[in-house]
Amino acid sequence: MNNDRSISVKKVSRTFRDFVALKDVDLDVPSGQIFGFLGPNGAGKSTLVKILTTILAPTAGVATVAGFDVHTQSDKIRQHIGVALQDVGLDALMTARELLLLQAQLFRFSKSEAITKSERLLKKVKLETVDPKKRVGDYSGGMKRRLDLALALVHDPDILFLDEPTTGLDPASRADIWEEVHRINKEDGVTIFLTTQYLEEADKLAQEVAIINKGQIVARGTPSALKKEIGNEVITITLEDPNAATQASQKLKQSFSEQQISGHELSIYLTDAAARVPELVRLLDQEKIKLNGLTLSQPTLDDVFLHATGERMTEKTNTGE
Amino acid sequence: MNDILLLIKRSLINILRTPAATIPNIAISVFFLFVYNGGLSSVSSIPGFVGSYLGFILPVSIVTAAVGGAGSAGQNLIKDIDSGYYTKLLLTPAKRLALIWGPMFAGAIVLLVQVILIIILGVILGLHTATGIPGMIMVALLAFTWGMAFAGYSVFMALKTKNAAATQAATFAFFPLIFLSETFVPSSFITVKWLKIAANINPTTYVFRAMRSLILNGWEAKPLLIGFAVILGLASLTGFMALMAAKKSTQLS
Repeated sequence: MNNDRSISVKKVSRTFRDFVALKDVDLDVPSGQIFGFLGPNGAGKSTLVKILTTILAPTAGVATVAGFDVHTQSDKIRQHIGVALQDVGLDALMTARELLLLQAQLFRFSKSEAITKSERLLKKVKLETVDPKKRVGDYSGGMKRRLDLALALVHDPDILFLDEPTTGLDPASRADIWEEVHRINKEDGVTIFLTTQYLEEADKLAQEVAIINKGQIVARGTPSALKKEIGNEVITITLEDPNAATQASQKLKQSFSEQQISGHELSIYLTDAAARVPELVRLLDQEKIKLNGLTLSQPTLDDVFLHATGERMTEKTNTGE
Repeated sequence: MNDILLLIKRSLINILRTPAATIPNIAISVFFLFVYNGGLSSVSSIPGFVGSYLGFILPVSIVTAAVGGAGSAGQNLIKDIDSGYYTKLLLTPAKRLALIWGPMFAGAIVLLVQVILIIILGVILGLHTATGIPGMIMVALLAFTWGMAFAGYSVFMALKTKNAAATQAATFAFFPLIFLSETFVPSSFITVKWLKIAANINPTTYVFRAMRSLILNGWEAKPLLIGFAVILGLASLTGFMALMAAKKSTQLS
């Protein structure tokens, strides 16, 4: 019996012709953790998930899942993992029960066991009341995601890979998925590798996160430690244009060293924000730099991303980069 | 074995739920039977032609149905690849052979139903067979194996190209296979040398000969054995190609 529910990634790279999708990625996910893998679109999240779920080979490096090597022991890995990929892979012509029954039987459960499992899983993902004759093609996006999650759980996996499980879902469906992910981890002890472009999702669910940008890990740790690293508080000032932001940055550099420009915004990381706001305003006033806005907040994972890459992840995600 | 049966069942459910994809294929093979028999039956009055033209042309209708039906195996696989369901199946412990045999056998089972319908239609049109029901079972078996051979090719193309249009285009190989042969007249009637050579190297010729011997002549060992040998050889080749493509698609790329 293999009780190893961990994931280990050492110096993993993946290239597609000239494009470097992943470069020297190192990660360790301990057993039983919800691990958030965070990054904007095209950062390399799905590539790493495909490598760890044995769909894609790394160009270099070593990765093990549940103690098995992705390159040489892919069959064994598949018995220990559940996978719900970003593109929900369902047969639109079948019903939910038919798909669950087939999936369970392909995982070597007897027909009666498969029926019991299907009903239990339908209840778990709140699809038990849906018309049994309704074909999956007629399901909403949220229902499809929940069914996909149920299919990934059919064989009681030790490790669950969820690749952007809530992308495109409405807030209520997203909350349902979060609740279920949390429950699977707490009650069943399943290690969850969750990729997401939603900072709030990673913050809410993950015990530890890694942030990836352009194929490289740029930060990792617990969400609170990462935020603490860049300062306890953040002052964000909004200026008229990016030139003004650069001018302000230069003026403030001596007194406020931890700062980051993003467009016409300047974020300043510090520990005593409220006390230092007057000083900041005075310095800008001396240079006749006009402020459009000023906010004082706790740092978010977006601030961590900004600090590590010089860009806001929310902007990259919104512009579809 | 259980994996194969489960995936055949699932493919059959898919086929039954998309009748619009199956009915045209049945209709076209029935259409061919009517048109060829109606338009070309006077060929049987040419000296040297033995037997009824309906019996001679029936295998063309069956082989056409087999090719069309088998092509659906590749199309169904493409649908799974596009929807991402094929990846889901790849991540189960199901045997790789089962993943391709599911759609292939399901297509061939539908084909069997089509062949039975065509034979019944032939009988309604006045067909008399030299070998009776056992002979027609043999014809259906030949059609089934021929369908599996073509399904293997179609699945291979689907896995190789992962593109519906390319997989559909690959079935155009059907045209030289069916028309560069003793399709409408016996070989003794073909006078053009290149067509005679093409017919001799075309495996479809031996399928036609085996089926026609059963319908028109009776139990003859030689055309039957050659027919089965050719079909089994072809089915093994395309089946092997499809399996290799399936294995490659599950290996890390």
